[in-house]
Amino acid sequence: MRSTPRWTSRPIETLLAELGAMAASFRAGLGAAVAAWPVLLGRAIFYGVCLMVLTAFWDKVGSQRLSGAFALRLPPQGLATYVGVTEWVTLSVPAIQLKLEDDIRGGALEAQLLKPKFYLAQAIAGQAGGMAARLLVLGAAALALLAVSGRAWPSAGGIAAAAVLGVVGAAIGVLLYGLVGLTAFWIRRVLPALLIVQKLMFLLGGLFAPISLYPDWLRIPATLSPFGAHLAFAGQAVIGLSVADFWRALALQAFWLAALSLIAVLVWRAGLAKTLKAGVS
Amino acid sequence: MNPAITVKELRKAYRYSRRRRGAPNGPLRALAGLFNPDIVEVEAVAGVSFTVAAGERVAVIGPNGAGKSTTLKMLSGVLEPSAGAADVLGFTPWRQRRALAYEIGVVFGQRSQLWSELPVRDSFSLLRRIYDQPEGACRRRRDALIERFGVGEVLDQPAGRLSLGQRMRCEIVASLLHAPRLLFLDEPTIGLDVTAKAAIRDFVREQSLNEGQTVVLTSHDTRDIELVCERVIVINAGRIVLDRPIADLRRFIARKLVTLQSQAPTLALELPGVARRPAEPHTTILEIDTRRTRVDVVIAAALALGGIEDVTVEDPPMEEVVHEIYAALDK
Repeated sequence: MRSTPRWTSRPIETLLAELGAMAASFRAGLGAAVAAWPVLLGRAIFYGVCLMVLTAFWDKVGSQRLSGAFALRLPPQGLATYVGVTEWVTLSVPAIQLKLEDDIRGGALEAQLLKPKFYLAQAIAGQAGGMAARLLVLGAAALALLAVSGRAWPSAGGIAAAAVLGVVGAAIGVLLYGLVGLTAFWIRRVLPALLIVQKLMFLLGGLFAPISLYPDWLRIPATLSPFGAHLAFAGQAVIGLSVADFWRALALQAFWLAALSLIAVLVWRAGLAKTLKAGVS
Repeated sequence: MNPAITVKELRKAYRYSRRRRGAPNGPLRALAGLFNPDIVEVEAVAGVSFTVAAGERVAVIGPNGAGKSTTLKMLSGVLEPSAGAADVLGFTPWRQRRALAYEIGVVFGQRSQLWSELPVRDSFSLLRRIYDQPEGACRRRRDALIERFGVGEVLDQPAGRLSLGQRMRCEIVASLLHAPRLLFLDEPTIGLDVTAKAAIRDFVREQSLNEGQTVVLTSHDTRDIELVCERVIVINAGRIVLDRPIADLRRFIARKLVTLQSQAPTLALELPGVARRPAEPHTTILEIDTRRTRVDVVIAAALALGGIEDVTVEDPPMEEVVHEIYAALDK
């Protein structure tokens, strides 16, 4: 009992089939994350605790008499909403590096390579499904926390811009962590690569402080780096971002999405070539 | 009829670096190893050639490390050979891996193709999309397979929470959802109970007979080979040492070892087709030629003697089977 279709060499059909399978993986990842709702709830609580600590810190900083450029650049409403957005993105991004490390080093990759679709795209789509659930739940939690905190709300445009830049930034985060995971083709544990990326995320991404506070020699490379595109742009949106700045940020994010996707494909190909020669671990 | 598989002088050598003998320890050694590594080459498959006709069921057997799994991996496209050629259903596996994937089903006993965090039902749905299967036909096939393997009750459980037996049944269903023309089974019954093994063997055989599906199987369980396959290829040290119909080898394969623990130091048990192996007092090891005497007959005869404390039934080790085949070939 054959139930075609089979392999097609027509690029459009291949691409559509690939996208269809990615959409199915996305839905499966979303479904799995929703089914594990206690985990989502726990993450939302953790998010709330993080925000309490970080906003208390920034409120304290804001109440001090600061001098020089630092004081001039600190936004008047404080940084509670900024860290709220950067933490929203950070806690939504999946640990795809662990999934890739497990599959590549644990041998599960072999079974995945026996399927007719592009493994990396499938893995990313599945993880993105889970990320979508977290973005929604943590986003709702962020708005609820802001409402009960009594703090001033950012403008509706600022919230909308943060939502757009945050979602695209989260996608950039998936690719960055995905690249960390792909190092498993060459190193037994990806932790060293992860630590490097996390430190860069902290520094250049503006995880706890807007990169607009940095001196120019650091602010410019941070803004142009994928780490800034991952976190800082979305955070900046709620503390003041012009329409022109928004479009510039979005364009830079689009560039990094494309560039990191290309790099991921090239790294994947190199890793796959190595694996097909040496065999799965 | 075109062969399903044609393999010519297929070779696979693995290269790895090892510490040089007499090299100093510490950073100097690490530095020396970096610039002048001692590369060792191990030949896992040393030039195998064979063909498998469409619809044929072939067992590839051999001791651990013989090159069976390596051969299967090359034929399924997840490993590139060092040399040689192979044609699987018209594809060169390592160059057209994803195209070939539509045509083959693979079960590697140690590796799962299901998504551990997803319910089995969702894994099956995802596989339908991954293999671009039309919904109606795939659903009918899926439902028939679910019923056949009795996995209906576990469909809503994540694959990662299933027992080994349940998981393996689901793996078989998953490998057959897209109606492959060729099935590679690498230790498909490893760790399974007798019922699950029987279900898998019966199904694979029936499927092949009814739908003309080609089967290539490796297993350490001689019953898998005896009940599923019609031809046996014996591999040792990366080379094919024997390629015969199963009928020629049944005398080596159709055997069971029954170990009896008894209160008496020895058991006086004489039956046709039953040989006694050396053992400690109170232990009796019987080698049964199952073509001549059934296992249950031997156990019944032993129980009739009284004082039996424990009974174990197992297959002779594959290494032993292969060794005896060699010995018979030499004569």
